[in-house]
Amino acid sequence: MGRLEKMKERYDEIVIPEELNIRVQQEIMKSQRQQAEKNSIRQRYRLKKVIHGMEAAAAVCILFIVALNTNSVFAKEVAQLPIIGGLAQILTFRSYETEKDDIAVSVEIPTIEMITEDTGITVEKINQEILEQCNQYAKEAVMRAEEYRTAFLETGGTLEEWKKHNIKITVNYEIKQQNNEYLSFVVRGTENWTNAYNKSKYYNLDLSTGKFVTLKDMLDGDYIELVNKNIREQIAERQSAGEIFFTAEEGGFTGISEDVKFYINKNNHPVIVFEKYEIAPGASGEIEFEIGGN
Amino acid sequence: MKQILYERLIQYILENQDRFYRVAYSYTKHQEDALDAVQSAVCKALEAHKNIKNEDAIKTWFYRILINECLTGLKKRNKVILTADVVEQKAVYYEEGYEQGGDIEQELEKLEMDVQGIIKLRFFEEMSLKEISSITGFNLNTVKTKLYRGLKLLKENIQEADLWVD
Repeated sequence: MGRLEKMKERYDEIVIPEELNIRVQQEIMKSQRQQAEKNSIRQRYRLKKVIHGMEAAAAVCILFIVALNTNSVFAKEVAQLPIIGGLAQILTFRSYETEKDDIAVSVEIPTIEMITEDTGITVEKINQEILEQCNQYAKEAVMRAEEYRTAFLETGGTLEEWKKHNIKITVNYEIKQQNNEYLSFVVRGTENWTNAYNKSKYYNLDLSTGKFVTLKDMLDGDYIELVNKNIREQIAERQSAGEIFFTAEEGGFTGISEDVKFYINKNNHPVIVFEKYEIAPGASGEIEFEIGGN
Repeated sequence: MKQILYERLIQYILENQDRFYRVAYSYTKHQEDALDAVQSAVCKALEAHKNIKNEDAIKTWFYRILINECLTGLKKRNKVILTADVVEQKAVYYEEGYEQGGDIEQELEKLEMDVQGIIKLRFFEEMSLKEISSITGFNLNTVKTKLYRGLKLLKENIQEADLWVD
């Protein structure tokens, strides 16, 4: 082997510090925030222009309204105006799809963006945490799938058979509530060949304080008792409608803990979530109970 | 269109960050400096993403920024060393009389900066001469000449070198 090739080998062995990825991601996040800001300023500017135009049009209208008595049309138009500016919104920070060894990976990472700047709420830390967790999950899931693949092939499985498994790893998110009071969303990681590692994390942010909302914040008094009673009633109701729940002996519902998973729905009500198999057979999937809705 | 290029650039950076680090490390020989060089290259590239002409140009365009950052970093560092009154400076000229089969990395460091760069891009990053030409700004023939000269100075087996040049 030539000396150049040896040198190339040593070069390829240069150790990559873990910090590299963090610092690169930081720069990308910074840049994307700036991009988003630029875009939203541009949009707001455009919207302002439209509104100015409408005000002028309205002034003209008023002159004729009394005579024509067609103000209902104008009222309708006003109602259609979009609401300007929330405090914050959820955006996709990064999405990508890869496929290697017939393992498909699809990742969509959310990020919180503050629209109003002077709220004093900082979301960098949360965003960083979400990003790290999503990347971590995807990385581990790929490793698990690769292990599965190795084991499958070593035990006599063929590549064609492996391909038919259609392994898919998904990381994505779903917005539950996004208004001026709350941001509520869930980030999920799933592997379509096993349920054992599926993960979902709920984020509920109170926009007046910038802090995570707890059930205690949303409900008065002995909230645990209140929620438990409510859930028991709902289970009884759903059972009589034919739904199957585990009994307490089978590992069914016995009461919530302080860190029970929940999100905030469009009615601003907390919704308690139980994972698949947690209190009912797998066929029921995730089970949800809205608290405070009728 | 610009938005798509921006996304592609991000994707390119994320996928190739390890390569960038190796390049930076080969220039700076220092972890912290290499990280700094990559980080500021990423920062500058993203800020200037509107200057990318098309998707195919992303690679050479980014490497140009990266190598610039490495060289700037080196200059700064050398200044610091000078002001700190350290006499121990690396010889930047080629010395006669080294032994064949010695430490090739050390020999490489004795070459002119741009020759070093060309050799690194060619052999480590496995780039085409055309790519190297657009990264360094030298025309194709100059790149070839510098590459040959560098290899000769390294007393590399010319046959091996020939395999690499084409």
